[in-house]
Amino acid sequence: MWGIPKPQNAITIAVSSRVLFNMDKEQQIYEQKGMEDYLKYQIEHEMEPFAPGPAFPFVKALEAVNTRLRELYPESEELFDVVLMTNSHAHAGLRLINTINHHQLFIERFCMTGGNSPIGYLKAYHTNLYLSADPMKVREALEEGIAAATMFNPPEKRTEVSETQLRVAFDGDAVLFSDESERIFKAHGLDKFFEHEKTHENTLLDHGPLKGFLESLGKLQKKFYAKDQRLDCPIRTYLVTARSAASSGTRALKTLRSWGLETDEALFLAGAPKGPMLEKIRPHIFFDDQLFHVEGASQLGTVAAHVPYGVAQKLPQQKPAKENTKDFSAATK
Amino acid sequence: MDSMVRNPDVKQRDAAQAVVVAVSSDAIFTPEVEQVHGATEPLRKGDAFSFMKAIQVVNERLLTLNSDETLLFDVILLSNDSEEKHSRIIASAKHYGLDIGRFCFCNKEDSIESLQSNNVKLFLSTDTNDVCKALQKGVPAALLYHQTDPHHQTEDQLKVVFSGDVIGSSEEMLHGLREQGFTETQLQGFKTAKGSVKEFAILMGEMRRRFGLEGSPLCTGLMTAWSSRDVCASALKTLRGWGLLVDEAFCLAGAPRSPILNLVRPHIICLDGLYHMEGFTAMS
Repeated sequence: MWGIPKPQNAITIAVSSRVLFNMDKEQQIYEQKGMEDYLKYQIEHEMEPFAPGPAFPFVKALEAVNTRLRELYPESEELFDVVLMTNSHAHAGLRLINTINHHQLFIERFCMTGGNSPIGYLKAYHTNLYLSADPMKVREALEEGIAAATMFNPPEKRTEVSETQLRVAFDGDAVLFSDESERIFKAHGLDKFFEHEKTHENTLLDHGPLKGFLESLGKLQKKFYAKDQRLDCPIRTYLVTARSAASSGTRALKTLRSWGLETDEALFLAGAPKGPMLEKIRPHIFFDDQLFHVEGASQLGTVAAHVPYGVAQKLPQQKPAKENTKDFSAATK
Repeated sequence: MDSMVRNPDVKQRDAAQAVVVAVSSDAIFTPEVEQVHGATEPLRKGDAFSFMKAIQVVNERLLTLNSDETLLFDVILLSNDSEEKHSRIIASAKHYGLDIGRFCFCNKEDSIESLQSNNVKLFLSTDTNDVCKALQKGVPAALLYHQTDPHHQTEDQLKVVFSGDVIGSSEEMLHGLREQGFTETQLQGFKTAKGSVKEFAILMGEMRRRFGLEGSPLCTGLMTAWSSRDVCASALKTLRGWGLLVDEAFCLAGAPRSPILNLVRPHIICLDGLYHMEGFTAMS
């Protein structure tokens, strides 16, 4: 068995058990009958592997990239490392390990915190991206400067995705970039938004929570380019934004360029729904800060993850928009 | 030859039924840099203090549930100090109200014999070397984890972490360790760890079952530092067979242990008896 990379060298993706696997039934038991019955059920059904969850195809694609990276750079530790991060009791541990074995996943690291918050462990593993079904934990992670998103079970219809090429799609504002422009739009409307963007075309946008993750993907892509594998690169990234190519899109592209980043494709929808476009792209995961877009994408079969960041969030208490934004400039590893 | 002194302030446990652990005096009270003759003030608290307090909480909760409970922790303080310090140690234990059943004063060379003749289930020390040496000599031992942040030590819950590498290990694994260059002495430590953990795990399982899933003053965990997830699974199954269902489980696959341990904050860690583990590549 080959060595597992050290956390500080790898691109660590932490996934909770409920997004990696489908644990709907068990979750229901937990909510209706409590912890004891839930754990008893898990132990009784230990030999029954869980079905794949929303993050499963994404994780499989990460492994495909690793295989290609190992072929080209056998000594390197710059690989994806998937850690199972769950605050489940370890009583459910055997069923999770059996499931990992059944699906032949390459997950060797896990934390079952027995009810304690996993947030500290995310830091201990130098986590680059955290995916969970629990929006509270995702918010906590974002507040700690860790890229994170909430995943939901996609409806029955699921777009088929590639098993050999990892495809990741990002919204722009409040995901790759800060939410400053969205705040203008929310407060003053569309016209003011366009005006503002035109005036500030040459001013760089600030970093958003997923900028670091895009950067990590870009770093890996360059490793394939260096070995003449640009056309056959197993990683492809997309910007899918409501901005318009004619106007407000310029600022987004200029910002990315100045960061030394790029996406393979940039799709400016000028406010049109994202679902149909995503259906064509077939990403393994799509990150957006607005639930409306996440749901829209999901309905058409795309696995979409919600980044609860910025002014678009409807918090239970009306907090001022500024409070929920965190400076992500130091977040990249 | 040792001198065993009963602590008059603590109700004596039934040593045959209790979980007898021996703790080094240097762990409970900070060793003094300068020995001042005739000093009488209490000794300063050592690294194992939060452990002592946590043990007390467990014992108290057990007795609250059942005043006739015999499955309690029974602590023996093991001291190699000079005679003039003995009374001061006893007085300090009284001063802090520590739940120490007996004081065992002996020479360093006689320590092992004292441990073996007093039905000690585990010798606990904050020094990794001492723990490994004890294991290598066949004495069941575990590490009292030195928590670096004094403001974050847990005193109201005792945490015990077992080694998945030890419990889930196979003969092939021992062979693999030999090939990796570990000496027979070190491997003896591993074998002792494996041989002695069962008894302690069974006792912890029994004790853990006295409490419910949540709000337990005793929390158990499994940590697999360098073995694969299958070894971890094997360890979980084995522990369950011994009656212990752990609360937390961690599989590190070679990742540095300190950042994780600083979050888990265990009091007792059952080591694998080998020395340096950082930088170890994971093996199946």
